[in-house]
Amino acid sequence: MVATSHDVMPDIELYQPTDEATALALANTLGSDGWLLGGGQDTYGWLKDRNKTPAAMIELTQVDAWKGIKETADGVEIGAVTTITEIATNPLIQSRYALLSTAAGRVASPQIRNVGTLGGNLVQDTRCWYYRRGLDCYRAGGNICYADSPEGLNREHALFGSSRCVAVSPSDTAPALVALDATMVVSSVGGQRLIAAQDFFVGPARDITHMTVLNEGEILTAVRIPNTWANAEFYFEKVADRNVWDFALVNVAAAFKVSGGTIEDARIVCGAVECVPRRLDAVEDAIRGQQRSEQLAEEVASIASVGARPLNYNHFKVPLMENLVKRAIRG
Amino acid sequence: MGEGIVRYKYDVWGEEVILGVSWDLLWVVAVAVLILLAAHAIIMAVLANKKMDKPSSDGRRVLRHETIDRLFHWIMAGSILLLILTGVAPIIGLRIAWLNLHWIAGLVLTFVVIFHIVRSLFWQDFKSMILGPRDFGEPFDSAKKPGKYSFEQKGMHWAATVVVLAVVVTGLLMFLQIDTPFWDRTNSMPESQLGLVFLLHGLSTLALVALAATHIYFALRPEKLFYTRSMISGWISEDEMTANHDTSRWSPEEAD
Repeated sequence: MVATSHDVMPDIELYQPTDEATALALANTLGSDGWLLGGGQDTYGWLKDRNKTPAAMIELTQVDAWKGIKETADGVEIGAVTTITEIATNPLIQSRYALLSTAAGRVASPQIRNVGTLGGNLVQDTRCWYYRRGLDCYRAGGNICYADSPEGLNREHALFGSSRCVAVSPSDTAPALVALDATMVVSSVGGQRLIAAQDFFVGPARDITHMTVLNEGEILTAVRIPNTWANAEFYFEKVADRNVWDFALVNVAAAFKVSGGTIEDARIVCGAVECVPRRLDAVEDAIRGQQRSEQLAEEVASIASVGARPLNYNHFKVPLMENLVKRAIRG
Repeated sequence: MGEGIVRYKYDVWGEEVILGVSWDLLWVVAVAVLILLAAHAIIMAVLANKKMDKPSSDGRRVLRHETIDRLFHWIMAGSILLLILTGVAPIIGLRIAWLNLHWIAGLVLTFVVIFHIVRSLFWQDFKSMILGPRDFGEPFDSAKKPGKYSFEQKGMHWAATVVVLAVVVTGLLMFLQIDTPFWDRTNSMPESQLGLVFLLHGLSTLALVALAATHIYFALRPEKLFYTRSMISGWISEDEMTANHDTSRWSPEEAD
């Protein structure tokens, strides 16, 4: 934390590639010096506070190959620099994957959704204010988690999986994509790799300084959503302090395949309770083959919070999470 | 912040505190050890008397290490190598879930070290490992042969003792700061103290890397291989013993 002049914007080399090959080559050449820029809604906060000072930026939003929503034989593919508004309002997404369009519609504010991209929403950094303030915490390469200290203010922080760091994933679209069993397309000059959405996000036990599996030189270029969960019964709810322009205290994204009132299959994912979208396998197992009902919801909701370890100020997240899961199951 | 041996940071109050060791030193240590060991290997190859008689491994066998001590050695070796690998992984950018493996290996090391201390004090010949004035003359006088352990072996042992105890003690203090099946983290150690613990743990880790590399190198040297064999099978031959040790100072039992 160094006193820095906020009067003058630091010098940053700006690259604006218009084709895939150039963007990937730049990412490869610049490595950790090349900050990937989508809509900038995560980036500009960092820059404004002078807590990240990249030497160069690669703006990705002019690469047409990474824009738009297209139907494929297996489902849909969404370019990573497609705006959140496009996703929220796209008829194909609304009709077949309403879970994602609903989640996208709850991201931040209309203005932010107009410029924010899907890729940016997925790979955005955590909002822990100690970290964002530029303190040398564990996530910033230090040796302590300020949010988890006895005096730490941690109302928004994690209930689960907090290995040394208690920051959470702030994304609204991430839980929806995990629930939809999406696949992330990650490109680099070396080729492409496909990663299940569930495996795309990483917690501090594996890598305390990153939130995704993206390596230097790699770019999230698209998200593929399979037909498997198209037109399923969906539920998305986000609880935040404000209805707009706020991050979730807890959100839930759920997809159900229901036949004759019986839940044949389900995927339920909670956001903002862990550093990664938290898949609720135990709840899914408990409801599979059961009649979807208020009674079932009451019976299994408490399973959602098993293993939670609340911090000083976020005990409220336990009943909140249980209630959101209950509401998702009863539909 | 600028780095030398120590990395500093500003704490939440804006005060400068120690963050830990500069991990650039890991590369310095790695390169230095490689150069020194390579130089040793070259010098030994140049100076070697090609017709030097090698003691025979045949004939009567004497016991050098009991089974329980060999077991201790290999558990300790495994845990130290795992600790180095899992500790270095995040520093060099390997993204693996290293922390649980690290503290489990650390606990194993702690238990075997305690076991070894107790056993060496009450059930082993502790005096055979003590470094005395006579030992320091040993490398310069070929007529002086060691007892059970040579000057180099004693030196390595005591260096390892200091470094391993430092890494264990600081590791245990860091262990208290994380969640384990035995307790929940408190995260309450003051940052300045925590930084000092990280620094000492880092420095002892660097020393441990150097010692482990040196130990493995010497264990694989042709003229020392019979010692490595004895750490597996327990015995050396009588010929190897008389060629390298003063039998008036070490008279082991016959091996089974």
